[in-house]
Amino acid sequence: MHAAGHRPRLRHAWAVVAEQELRDAWLGGRALALIVLFSAFLSVVLYLLATNTALNLLEQREAVTLMSQLGVAVGAILALILAADAVSGERERSTLEALLVSPAPRRAIVFGKLLAALSLWAAAFVVVIPYLWFLGHGIGIAGEAAAATLFVGTMLAVALAGLGMTVSAATDSNRASLSISLLALLALVAPTQLPPAAQSGWAGNVLFRLNPVTAGEHYLGRLLTDGHPWWQDISWLLSPAIAAGVLLAVTAVSAESLGLRGWRH
Amino acid sequence: MQEARTSETTAGAAVEVREITKRYGDRVALDAVSFTVPAGVVGLLGPNGAGKTTLMRILTTILEPTAGTFTVAGCGQAEAGEIRRRIGVLPEKAGYPRVQTGGEYLTYHGRLFGLHRTQATAAARRALESVGLAERGRSLIGSYSRGMLQRLGIARALVTDPSVVFLDEPTIGLDPAGRRDILETIRRLSREHGATILLSSHQLADVEEICDRAVILNRGRVVSAGTVAGLVRGVEANRRLVVVVPADRRAEALAHARAAPNVQHVHRAADHPSGITVVFEPGVDPDVAGQAVLRTLLDAGIAIRRLEAERGTLSEAFLAATEADDR
Repeated sequence: MHAAGHRPRLRHAWAVVAEQELRDAWLGGRALALIVLFSAFLSVVLYLLATNTALNLLEQREAVTLMSQLGVAVGAILALILAADAVSGERERSTLEALLVSPAPRRAIVFGKLLAALSLWAAAFVVVIPYLWFLGHGIGIAGEAAAATLFVGTMLAVALAGLGMTVSAATDSNRASLSISLLALLALVAPTQLPPAAQSGWAGNVLFRLNPVTAGEHYLGRLLTDGHPWWQDISWLLSPAIAAGVLLAVTAVSAESLGLRGWRH
Repeated sequence: MQEARTSETTAGAAVEVREITKRYGDRVALDAVSFTVPAGVVGLLGPNGAGKTTLMRILTTILEPTAGTFTVAGCGQAEAGEIRRRIGVLPEKAGYPRVQTGGEYLTYHGRLFGLHRTQATAAARRALESVGLAERGRSLIGSYSRGMLQRLGIARALVTDPSVVFLDEPTIGLDPAGRRDILETIRRLSREHGATILLSSHQLADVEEICDRAVILNRGRVVSAGTVAGLVRGVEANRRLVVVVPADRRAEALAHARAAPNVQHVHRAADHPSGITVVFEPGVDPDVAGQAVLRTLLDAGIAIRRLEAERGTLSEAFLAATEADDR
């Protein structure tokens, strides 16, 4: 037996949890299945861009923008899906208690899981690169598109994964966690479906700026379609950056009270 | 620091609980529960809803008490991280990742306790051996039987050589053979690892079989506590003596037995048409009191055909304690 004073000290618990979660997600096949579906989705979009009479009228710059925006939005949603399962899934499978009685700090457990969820965004970004290159290398914006996709996508992925993780920590079932997270996401995407007139007024402008998803997508459009320099519309990235920071902070705070049951108990 | 902690607790107590109360809104799950757990295997008994699992979760730092204090392995409740480093836990509803092998699962938990990967792998191998799962360490957990899962859970509780092990209903849902294996495993672990084991169960036979001491909870309160032998000794069955006399002298025997010293009451024996049941007063030595009754009957010239001294069980001690509390 270990003498009380000679018990090993736990360092980098987040890394141990993240490693395990990455193994579960990728070797278990869940993450791989999502990435394969994501890749198939991008291939269909690319095919339509090349063959569809409506879509192939898009300028090449617009096609790159569309691919970048889709990559960012769907890649971030994938991170949200994995994060939304992270804690509520453990509750549902009754595996959380064993984790909570270990000396690993609650925050380390949650951030380890968050990192694993973000690995889906990283993989999604790697997948989207060839598509951006295919569409953008002829007009010399493939590199710029990839860099912007990485930058904007990382902010949105952190924000959405933080949202998913917070909801997951507060709910008892996967279904509830995923439903609440996706509803919140739909609310964020909904403004893009407003009629053009509503989008172009000052109210629409404010709404688009406040909403991290629409603001990020707007920035990509200005940068890639309109060819603006990267700093000209940087203010549009304020809300994605703030959302990422705030949701990370909320995740950290909610992690401290992580328990066997969600908030409603 | 260690000395300061120890001085505040009962000397030698692995777990000390003082006036722990847990409320969920208006519902009181635990009501000023106090007891100490010395070394050995200690059973925590109680009917469903008695508060056993709530208490286990408080002591394993999963829940916070509404009031009261406790120490586990010399650490106070404010040192939750330290407590977790010193305990092993088998929760009541333990789930397991089906797509991991038993070895991988235990290695992961060893690493969560700060062991280096190679140390954790070695500790996992030892823990699997100690619960008899060494040969299945490379199999996916999804292929394990229920009994094997329980043993895997016990192995996880032991992977970092804890000072105190909490086992919540370790034999629940097992067939008799699986139950016997688990009890044998726990008994062996207590002997070989030297850890204090707090075992929560409503399987009284399990507790009677392997525990040195027991704490009985009912409706969130401690209604009885002590050594298992002491609890059993206190039940009425141990104070009962059935004396079979000639049928025509039973009424006379009843009257004489009532007059004997230390007899609480006497009645006709239910199972013997010519028998009487003598119940001694609590606290008296049943052997001494029994001899006095026999002497009284023999002095009255009543022949004694047969004697049956009943033996109490933990089940009776449990029922006596909980029913008295319910009244």
